[in-house]
Amino acid sequence: MVGQQLVNGLFLGAVYALFAIGYTLVFGVLDILNLAHAAIFMLAAFATWSLLGAGAPLWLAAPVAIAGAGILGIILDRIAFAPLRRRAAPNLIPLISSIGMAIIFGAIARAIYGPDERKFTLGFLDAAPLHAGPLTFTIVQLVILGSAIAFMLGLAWVMRATALGRAIRAVAEDRIAAALLGIDLERTIGATFFIASALGGLAGILTALQYNSVQVDMGAQIELKGLAVIVLGGMGSITGAVIGGFVIGMVETLAIALGLSGWSDAISYGVMFVILILRPTGLFGKRTLRTA
Amino acid sequence: MKRPVFYALALAAACALIPTAVVGPSLAATTKGPAAGKTVKIGVIADVTGSAAVYGVQQKDAYDLATDDLKSGLLDAGGANLTFDVEDSASDGNQVANLFQKFTTDGSALILGPTLSGEARKGDPIAVQAKTAVVGTSTTADGITSLGPCVFRVSLSEAQVIPATIARTKAVWKYKTAAIIYGDDNAFTKTDGDIFKTQLEKAGVTIVDTETFHIGDKDFAASLTKIKAAKPDVIVLGALAEEAEKIIQQAATQGIKTHMMGGNGLNSTKIYDYAGPAAAGVVVGAAWYINGNYAGNKSFVERFKKKYGTAPDQFGAQAYAAAQLAAQLVKDGAATKDAMCPALRDLRVAQTVLGPIAFDPGRDVNAAPVILQIVKGGFAYFH
Repeated sequence: MVGQQLVNGLFLGAVYALFAIGYTLVFGVLDILNLAHAAIFMLAAFATWSLLGAGAPLWLAAPVAIAGAGILGIILDRIAFAPLRRRAAPNLIPLISSIGMAIIFGAIARAIYGPDERKFTLGFLDAAPLHAGPLTFTIVQLVILGSAIAFMLGLAWVMRATALGRAIRAVAEDRIAAALLGIDLERTIGATFFIASALGGLAGILTALQYNSVQVDMGAQIELKGLAVIVLGGMGSITGAVIGGFVIGMVETLAIALGLSGWSDAISYGVMFVILILRPTGLFGKRTLRTA
Repeated sequence: MKRPVFYALALAAACALIPTAVVGPSLAATTKGPAAGKTVKIGVIADVTGSAAVYGVQQKDAYDLATDDLKSGLLDAGGANLTFDVEDSASDGNQVANLFQKFTTDGSALILGPTLSGEARKGDPIAVQAKTAVVGTSTTADGITSLGPCVFRVSLSEAQVIPATIARTKAVWKYKTAAIIYGDDNAFTKTDGDIFKTQLEKAGVTIVDTETFHIGDKDFAASLTKIKAAKPDVIVLGALAEEAEKIIQQAATQGIKTHMMGGNGLNSTKIYDYAGPAAAGVVVGAAWYINGNYAGNKSFVERFKKKYGTAPDQFGAQAYAAAQLAAQLVKDGAATKDAMCPALRDLRVAQTVLGPIAFDPGRDVNAAPVILQIVKGGFAYFH
């Protein structure tokens, strides 16, 4: 049973991690929380559902929806964040702005799709489970874990080995210094939003496929979990978001395995709380509190 | 020669009774009662959208059908202009409270609904304070009718249905151990979990594992892994349809083939539609059966199918029964909100698609449950 519970935690953590990377990427660069991230997560799932309904195959529908999520991220930045950046608004204002955009995105989705749960009619979702010794899992879960790991490694490579990654890291470190070095700030921020939102969209599609459920409020639950993940992992740290995602997924699963199913959420947040007391910057956070 | 004549007469008499038996008194032609000519508005609160829409859409459809039937004379309100004002509570407790405020102040004579027990706990006290009678059609949790002296329900409570479900399944499956998984943050699912636990223990069944979840949860893998390890003879679900279908599906994914049974939340054909063949054989106690031989039931099912292209489920039937009850009350002269509560209290019997119903002193409906199992396209008697 322990082995199966670890596998359950791994699959759950993979989705949390993928969602949280987008959150933390934007925070790392702009020092703001993009609370519209969960709305993009949801819209990508609906876009995939619509494209599949229109007859597109999944191999086409999912990438189109992911790219759409990325473009929506850029639009989000242009509408909700860029004007405030230009006016040097305090950090709380973009946060409120992102909440506003999340509500607008939700209202649009509700107007188009209604509040009811939508289902995919994909044959492979009903395929027989796979077995590896005592462990049981589905093809979808394997695809989710594989995609999550592949995209996380891909992002790590982009951040370390490409000019864009170096630009993003430079902007995250010091926006003014990066601009003085000739980095196009707006372009780099736009690219950050594209990557973050595309990853959020991917997480939304994978979550929708895993539970065969697309709903307007599907982002509400993962939004808080994602927040816990990035706080636990260290705000702005991609490695922290990945490790934090798996930690929260594992803690939740193991709480249930220990007979505390009714307490699993409370225990996850409790663990986060304890870690923050011991290490206020989170597991991989490098930022320190600035003093006057 | 005398015997054949007697049989012929008996057959003729039986044939003459058939229309009454099938159509029932409530489907007689419109008569002129004490409320003839008066307009009587009934407020209906149903979750037509949102997470409980699988139940609420059926309810709305049933009231719309009842409205058609009032116009055509199939439902008799004694010549009164009876209308059902159906409002969508969108599976949102605050919206439910707002609608109770509306119907207690807009001249509605009676409120039917809301869809869920938790919603009733929020809204019914508003009606109680405003001295407006409420009839629940799908609220099944403990203590709903205790909310006020004019709170009734035509839906069988879980406390009435679950003991029968356990008795029947235990006789067939002969189980000795059970695992329970239920939502602990919802009035109905919590009631389900508590009653199943108490009644199973009373029946000598050992509970080997109890798991809880929250409404809106999607991942039940960890809980199901734990249940699987406990090796119960039967798994009990205290869940609404949205979570139940995921639990059933994810249990199949983990290779769990244990018998399953549940409460009222599973009384929707959507469970099979969403969970697929994994849902086949899951047992549920119900207040109504589509092929049940109740007065007017067959005709109701046919008209519902004709109008909506889909069969009614228990929630639709209970809502239609509430409409029949309201029509009878109005026909008998209860045309105002002050008259409704005494009329409900004094009701001797109402002929409905659920069968003849009356209320016990606790304002719960007096009726017998049926034990069904989920099959493709609907339900069948569980034997």
